Amino acid sequence: MTGYIHARSVSLTFRPPNRAPVRALGGFDIDVEEGEFLSIVGPSGCGKSTFLNVLLGLTKPDGGEVMMHGKPIRGPGSDRAMVFQEFGLLPWRTVTHNIELGLELKKVPADKRRAVADRLVTLVGLSGFEHHYPHELSGGMKQRVGLARALATDPEVLLMDEPFAALDAQTRDLMQVELLRIWREAKKTVLFVTHQIDEAIYLSDRVVVMSKRPGRAKRIFAIKLPRPREYEMRVTPEFNDLKLEIWNTLKDEIVM
Amino acid sequence: MAQQETMIAAATPAFAARYRRLLLGCLAVLLFFAAWQAVFLVVPFNPLFISKPSLIAAGYADLIESGDLFHDLAVSAVPFFVGLGAAVMIGVPLGILMGWRVRVGYALDPLMTIFYASPLVALAPLLVIFFGVGVSGKAIIVFSLSVFPFIFNAYAGVHAVDRLLINVVRSLGGGEWALYRKVILPSVLPYVVAGARIAVGRALIGVLVGEFFAASEGIGFAISRFGDLFAMDKMFACILTVMVIAVILTEGIRWAERAAFPWRAEQ
Repeated sequence: MTGYIHARSVSLTFRPPNRAPVRALGGFDIDVEEGEFLSIVGPSGCGKSTFLNVLLGLTKPDGGEVMMHGKPIRGPGSDRAMVFQEFGLLPWRTVTHNIELGLELKKVPADKRRAVADRLVTLVGLSGFEHHYPHELSGGMKQRVGLARALATDPEVLLMDEPFAALDAQTRDLMQVELLRIWREAKKTVLFVTHQIDEAIYLSDRVVVMSKRPGRAKRIFAIKLPRPREYEMRVTPEFNDLKLEIWNTLKDEIVM
Repeated sequence: MAQQETMIAAATPAFAARYRRLLLGCLAVLLFFAAWQAVFLVVPFNPLFISKPSLIAAGYADLIESGDLFHDLAVSAVPFFVGLGAAVMIGVPLGILMGWRVRVGYALDPLMTIFYASPLVALAPLLVIFFGVGVSGKAIIVFSLSVFPFIFNAYAGVHAVDRLLINVVRSLGGGEWALYRKVILPSVLPYVVAGARIAVGRALIGVLVGEFFAASEGIGFAISRFGDLFAMDKMFACILTVMVIAVILTEGIRWAERAAFPWRAEQ
């Protein structure tokens, strides 16, 4: 069977020189549907980020297969883009030029790049900051640039590796609302790695809970809350029931 | 009332307060020359072995009037800039390669460290014999002294490259060449400019030493000839000129650093 994204028994062991090998992924299975918002939660070091890197094509698994559109992933491709936890903005480039990076690497002509960047600056709400350097922006604004840069090459899938973890709590809440708006407008498939159960439930269609290392998918929760999601939904009994259930699934995996 | 006055004073500080760093710096320089001049009121003065600011100033006037000073500086500028230019063109790519290609770094690091640490100036007479008394011999001395700060600073700059940025460019489909152009070179540039400040000082020494050994013109030749002639006033005038040039070049680079890298957050 070939789904949209289809990962079977993905396993990966890191072998750092002069240290014991670390089994990061131990038979991870997942099927992602097109247009879906899927979150992955799990204990620290369970291989969540490693799995995103495998999907991105930066890391090769030693076993199993990861397919997209029925074809194995062999390296980075313009159908996927990553939003990084620490933003990863080039400090010597202004907002606009950071957003244009991926298009530059694809040899898109300058006028087209500028048009895309202008549209995305508006989409992520950074109008007026086009010529600012990253050090002049707040954390939330930096991640808006990170998001715009990922969207610039018009990928089908957005991979988000704890994108809001470096932000303060209020900024994070606002960014979640913004992300849902952008997701609706841009119509992407999103794979979202997070530590926060709230965040995962609020954003997602499904939440995957991973086991401790070597990571596997322990249980998958379908989130049936209606869309568009409202902030108030976070204090409803259904939301809290889900949160408790996910927590109960997750807590046994946490190694202190 | 008194409080109000202090507030106004704080908002628009007096000229002396605003420029106190510059003023104090200049004052110390002036005091140094005044003390130099004054010490010969007590100590006996012999113009064959030492000079004093009043005589140096007169010597300056002579050198400027005759045009000798500018001629010598123009002659020395050629090997200086040729050698320094070659040091940038070779040192920066070599340092980047040593930083990015681990095996190249492992192989060349000890050798380069030995060269950097060794008193290469001592080889100057040999280099003059090999490459002649013309521009090339001196340019090679300048090059061999000033290339190492570029190599080592570029090398250190590559080690400071943010690995995340490498992954960002790779994930967007960038290959090896894109990594050099979009991430490594821009990260390394501030380090190279910092290295240039050290390299300029070493390059000046290179020109002077080269001209001490074999030259018929140039500022280094002028210093050594005036020394041989016991023309201490003119010798000191030339030395002071070199000092001023060194200060202008290094401060100019410092200024260019701030102007060229606006993205570096103010420390």
